[in-house]
Amino acid sequence: MQEFTNNTIDLSTLPKYEETALTAPDSKYWQIIVINLLIFLFVIGIGLAAITFIDEETRANWFIFAGVFLIFAAFLFFIFRASFKRRGFALREKDLLYKSGIIAETTTIVPLHRIQHVALNEGLLSRMFQLGTLQLYTAGGSSGEIRIAGIPIEQAKSIKEALAQSLVEIRKTTTE
Amino acid sequence: MSLDFSEPQRQSAAGILINGAYIVQRFVRAMFIPLALFIFKSNKIALLYTALGLVVVLVVSLIYGYFYYRKFTFYLDTLKQEFVIDKGVFGRKNLTIPVEKIQQVNINQGFLQKLIGVYSLQIDTAGSDSKEVNISAISGQIAFALKEHLLNGEKETVATERNEDAPLAAQNLQKETPFIKIGPSTLLKIGLTSNYGQSVVLLLGFGYAVFHNIKEVLKAFDNDNGQVEQFFKSGITLISIGVLFVAIIFLLLATNVIRTFVKYFDFQISKHQKSLLISSGLLAKKNTLLHPNKVQITEVSQNYFQKKIGLFNMALKQAHSGEQQSDKEVRSNNLEVPGCSVNEKDEIMRMILSKLPADGNSYQPNFRFVNLPVLFWIVLPVIIYNLVFYFENSVRPFLPLAIGYVLVAAMMIYISFKKHRIIVSKDFIVKQSGIWDISKEIIQPQKIQSISTSQFPWHKSLDIGHLTLHTAAGNITFSYGNYTEIKLLVNWWLYQVESSEKDWM
Repeated sequence: MQEFTNNTIDLSTLPKYEETALTAPDSKYWQIIVINLLIFLFVIGIGLAAITFIDEETRANWFIFAGVFLIFAAFLFFIFRASFKRRGFALREKDLLYKSGIIAETTTIVPLHRIQHVALNEGLLSRMFQLGTLQLYTAGGSSGEIRIAGIPIEQAKSIKEALAQSLVEIRKTTTE
Repeated sequence: MSLDFSEPQRQSAAGILINGAYIVQRFVRAMFIPLALFIFKSNKIALLYTALGLVVVLVVSLIYGYFYYRKFTFYLDTLKQEFVIDKGVFGRKNLTIPVEKIQQVNINQGFLQKLIGVYSLQIDTAGSDSKEVNISAISGQIAFALKEHLLNGEKETVATERNEDAPLAAQNLQKETPFIKIGPSTLLKIGLTSNYGQSVVLLLGFGYAVFHNIKEVLKAFDNDNGQVEQFFKSGITLISIGVLFVAIIFLLLATNVIRTFVKYFDFQISKHQKSLLISSGLLAKKNTLLHPNKVQITEVSQNYFQKKIGLFNMALKQAHSGEQQSDKEVRSNNLEVPGCSVNEKDEIMRMILSKLPADGNSYQPNFRFVNLPVLFWIVLPVIIYNLVFYFENSVRPFLPLAIGYVLVAAMMIYISFKKHRIIVSKDFIVKQSGIWDISKEIIQPQKIQSISTSQFPWHKSLDIGHLTLHTAAGNITFSYGNYTEIKLLVNWWLYQVESSEKDWM
C-alpha cells in the first residue's frame, strides 16, 4: 500500500464512500421494471408469432423459437433483477452517491458543488406507482451524470428541494 | 478615438463586401462542376447568358449583404455584463451572452479580409454553437478593444480604479513581447515528426477525390474506357511499388510540413494581464485570448522522434457543452501549441496551473489490462487467418506478413500497457497513455466534476477496478488498477474537491 508523504491528513480517517449505507430504490419500482419488460417481450412475441404464422419452415420448428424466446425472457429477468438489487443511492452532506450496473458495478459520486441543475421526471407508469426519477446535471457531460429512478415521489421532491437549497447556499458562500 | 461599446453599433462598412463575397463563394462552390461543364460544352450565346446570370447572382448577393449589414448590430450591456447581437434579414435573431460565460475570443483574418483590412471576431462559450456568435467584419482596432472588454469585463466592475489602464493596455495588445515564438526551423522539425495520422487521412481523401474527379471528367466527355484503372493496374510491379512507397512517404512528409506551416506560421504566445494571447497562421491569421483558469485539461505529448530533439506538443482543453458535438467543434475548444522546448512547456504550465506538477505516487494497471486487446487484435485475427489459410490457397504467400503483424501488434499492446498509468500528487493528477505519441493529461483536483468507479464481478477477488474522472473537457480513465488504492484515491479527491473553495472555472 502506497502512502502520501506530502500531506498531514491521515487518509484512512477520511470518510469512505464505499462504506456509505445506500438507500435502495422503492420495491414498487421492480413492478414497473417487470411491466416494461413484459411489454417489450410481448411485442417481440407478437413479431415471432407473425413469422411462424407466415413461414412454413419456421412453423415446423416452432419449438426452437419458443425455447430461445423463453430463455431470452428468463435471461432478461435475471439480468434486470440483479441490476435492480445492485442499485442504491445516498445523499451525503457534501455529495451524492449512486451505485448501479448490469454486469459491472459502477459507483458515481457527484459533489454538490458541481451540480448544475436538478430535474425530477415522472413517467406515466411511475406516476401510477407514485415514483419519480431524479436527474442531476453537471458540466462533465452525460457520462458523469446521475439518474436515480424509482424514488417515492415525496422523498424525491424533498431531495430535490434540499439539493436546490444547498446549491443556493454554496453559490452564496463562493461569491462572498 | 472613442471605443464605447455600450451603444448598438454596426460592423465595418466593408462587411457588405465580405457578406456578399461569402454568398458568392458558397454559390460558386456548390455549382462549380456543373458550371465548368456547361462552359466547356456550350456555345457563345449560352455562355453570355451564364455570365449574365453570374452578374445577377453577384448583385443580389451584394444587396443581401447590404441588408445583412444594416440589420446586424452588437453592443455590450455594461450594467448586466452581457454582450448582445441583433441580426437577421428575414427572421430576426437576438443573441445575449453573459460576459462571464465567455471562454475565448478568436480574431481571425482570412484572405479577403486581409485584402480589405478587416477582421472577424468569434466568441466561444461553453454552451453555444460557435458559428452563431460571429462578427465577420470589423476593424482591427475595434476587434482588439472589444476582445479586451469582453475578457476583462468582470474585473473592471470590481476594480474601477484600474479602469484608466485598460484602454492603454488595449492598444498595447498587439505590441506585447511574446514569451514563446516558434520559428520556421522549429516548424520544419514539427512538420517532420508529428501528426502523421491526420496527413494520411488527408492524403487518402485527396487521392480519392482526384481519382473520382478524373473519372467524372472523362465520363462527361464520354471517354471513360477504364483508362484510369488500367493505368494503375499496369503500373504495379515490384520496382514501381518501391518507388511508389518512397514517393508516398515523401508526399506525406511534404503535406505534413506544408500543413504545419499554414496553420502555425509565426506562432506566438504572449502574456497579457492574466490571460494568454495566442496567434498564428500563414494565410489566415488567428488570434485567441484565453483565461488560464478556464483550461480544464492540459495535455503534453511527445513521440520517439520528438523526444530525441526535445520538442513537446501541448493541447489546452477547455470546457464544452454536454450536448453532442462534432469533432471539429471539440477541437476548436482545444488550443494547440505545436512545438515547444522544455523551458517553454514549463512556462506555459506555470501560467495555467500556477506551478509545475511535482513527482507523486505512480499507479500502474494489472497485467490483465492486455487481455481484451490481445483477444481482439491478435487471437481473433490469427484464428480467422488460420481458417482462411486452411481453405484458401491464395492467402498462403502472406504468411510472413501475418507473422510480422502479430509481432508488431503484440509489441504495441505491451507498450500501451507499460505506458498506461496515473501519477497522483497533492495538487495534480497526471494520466499517461499512448503507444507512439505518449501523452500526459494533467488536471487539478478542483477541475473534477464527478467520479465513477466500476468493477466486474469476476474482478472482485482479484481486487481490480476502473476509475473515471469526469471533467468539463472530457473524461480521464484509469483501467485495471488496484481497487483498494483507487477507492483510497477517490476518497482523497472527494475530500479535496468538497473541502476547498476553488472553483472549476
